[in-house]
Amino acid sequence: MRLVNEFTKGLWREVPPFRLVLGLCPTLAVTTAAENGVGMGLATTFVLVCSNVLVALLRKLIPSKVRIASYIVIIASFVVIVELSMQAYAYKLYEALGIFIPLIVVNCIVLGRAEAFASKNNVVLSMADGLGMGIGFTMALTVIGGVRELLGSGSVFGVHVMWSSFEPFGFMLKAPGAFVCLGFLLGIMNIIGAKK
Amino acid sequence: MTEYILLIVSAIFVNNILLARYLGNCPFLGVSKSMDTAIGMGMAVIFVITSAGVITWMVQKYVLDPFGLAYLSTIAFILVIAALVQLVEMFLQKSVPALYRALGIFLPLITTNCAVLGVAIINIKEDYDLLTTLVFSFASAVGYSLALVLFAGIRERFAVMKMPKPFDGTPLGLITAGLLSMAFLGFSGLLK
Amino acid sequence: MRDIIRMIVVLTVICGLSGFTLSYVKQVTEEPREYAYLKFVKEPSIKAVLSGYDNDPIKDRIIVTLGKDEKGNPIEKQFFPAKKNGKVFAVAFDASANGYHGPISVMVGVNDKGVVDGISIMQHSETPGLGARTTEPSFTGQFKGLTLDGVNLTASGGKIQAISGASISSGAVVRAVREALELLPKIKQEVFSS
Repeated sequence: MRLVNEFTKGLWREVPPFRLVLGLCPTLAVTTAAENGVGMGLATTFVLVCSNVLVALLRKLIPSKVRIASYIVIIASFVVIVELSMQAYAYKLYEALGIFIPLIVVNCIVLGRAEAFASKNNVVLSMADGLGMGIGFTMALTVIGGVRELLGSGSVFGVHVMWSSFEPFGFMLKAPGAFVCLGFLLGIMNIIGAKK
Repeated sequence: MTEYILLIVSAIFVNNILLARYLGNCPFLGVSKSMDTAIGMGMAVIFVITSAGVITWMVQKYVLDPFGLAYLSTIAFILVIAALVQLVEMFLQKSVPALYRALGIFLPLITTNCAVLGVAIINIKEDYDLLTTLVFSFASAVGYSLALVLFAGIRERFAVMKMPKPFDGTPLGLITAGLLSMAFLGFSGLLK
Repeated sequence: MRDIIRMIVVLTVICGLSGFTLSYVKQVTEEPREYAYLKFVKEPSIKAVLSGYDNDPIKDRIIVTLGKDEKGNPIEKQFFPAKKNGKVFAVAFDASANGYHGPISVMVGVNDKGVVDGISIMQHSETPGLGARTTEPSFTGQFKGLTLDGVNLTASGGKIQAISGASISSGAVVRAVREALELLPKIKQEVFSS
């Protein structure tokens, strides 16, 4: 069924940021811990789904020349809603994600899906697309965050799991570690993908 | 005066906007395949980030804060940036059409470049005054362009090397960026 | 012409709806946001200076108007009450004084008899190893159980031993605590009878 297809593609075949190389900035920055990865992923998913739905709803009313500007206003509004909600109900996560929450506005995934999909498909399909991509992104962020947290702090989701003599690779939590880790994971994904 | 020099050194090397703060990655891996596009992109980015930084600062101080609308800064800033990029596009199209064509799709993509919005937000977060905002925005953009050009130079070399298939392309780019970032990490002891 | 009008109308409507929705969300989240912020920023200090209470000092915070500034705007201060069985027996609030490198912000917990329950340094920019040592329990613990008379450096006849080599920082903390204690009688009525 088309609906299921649109939903599942975001989970593996076209999962950001591995297959669909978008949304790299937050990926590298917030994945110092699995928990942050989850938080960021969910916030992005919320914005992605809401903006996809609204753009699909209005797609026939918005003149082509002003579509990018309109999408930006729509996406930015949902981002501000997320910002305010996080400040009210999840302050610790808000501080941890910092500048990258407002940066969801320029997350290439959100604008990319609005332009490439939601502007050309109906509301239900767009919602499935957004949900799939969002959940896929969240899973990816959690995995990357988990790897970096495991190697960099010896814990996963704050729970210490490595043996006591394990010396954490602080490198993993810093910028170079992020780039290298993502590079290797992407390479591994390619290997897995090629085998199928 | 020394504070400004420290700020410039910090923004370009120690806290490089791309290699240390992770801002501006998407176009980074796409544009930096050749030196010429990298340099052209760098110039455009320097202009956009510097002017966007200053204009958004003024919008925040003279429009948003006085009316208690600080929570709308995200929307206001992105609209300012979008408009600015539009202006730059029109200007380049009329006066330097060769550069306009060379940059192609990457020019409008500067709007979604996290570095532009990121710098604008940092200016406000760190509570910089107007002159510091100008200096920081300019220096950050220079740091970005520097990273871009260095990267393009390295990648031009890679184009003629043999690589294991799964790692070719983006994964290699990322690992290279990691090594470059590590090199810049060496600067962190510079400011004492 | 019609196209341009259409573009302007669509953009205006979208911006208008956006503005409307956002100001609504802002209003609805105003109270939870303030609470979450205070909890994150101030709760550790409040917990350090108050004990034995069964309420939520941040939720029950009282705002007292202390007068007006030069523009005629009211100067307000937040007080965090500690209650037992509904009765306020102590209160925590902050005061600050200038140290060696800038203002030192102190959270002071004091009961209704003017006796200090505890102090906690919230923010400072003092020198590590010298002025920054005022945050150590060996220094802050000295204030517990004292009233206004005792809160002074030993050099000025009080009971607080300054940190050697950091007399300015120590003096600043003392001044801040004194300021808090001096404020107590003025707000006692409003805070303790709620």
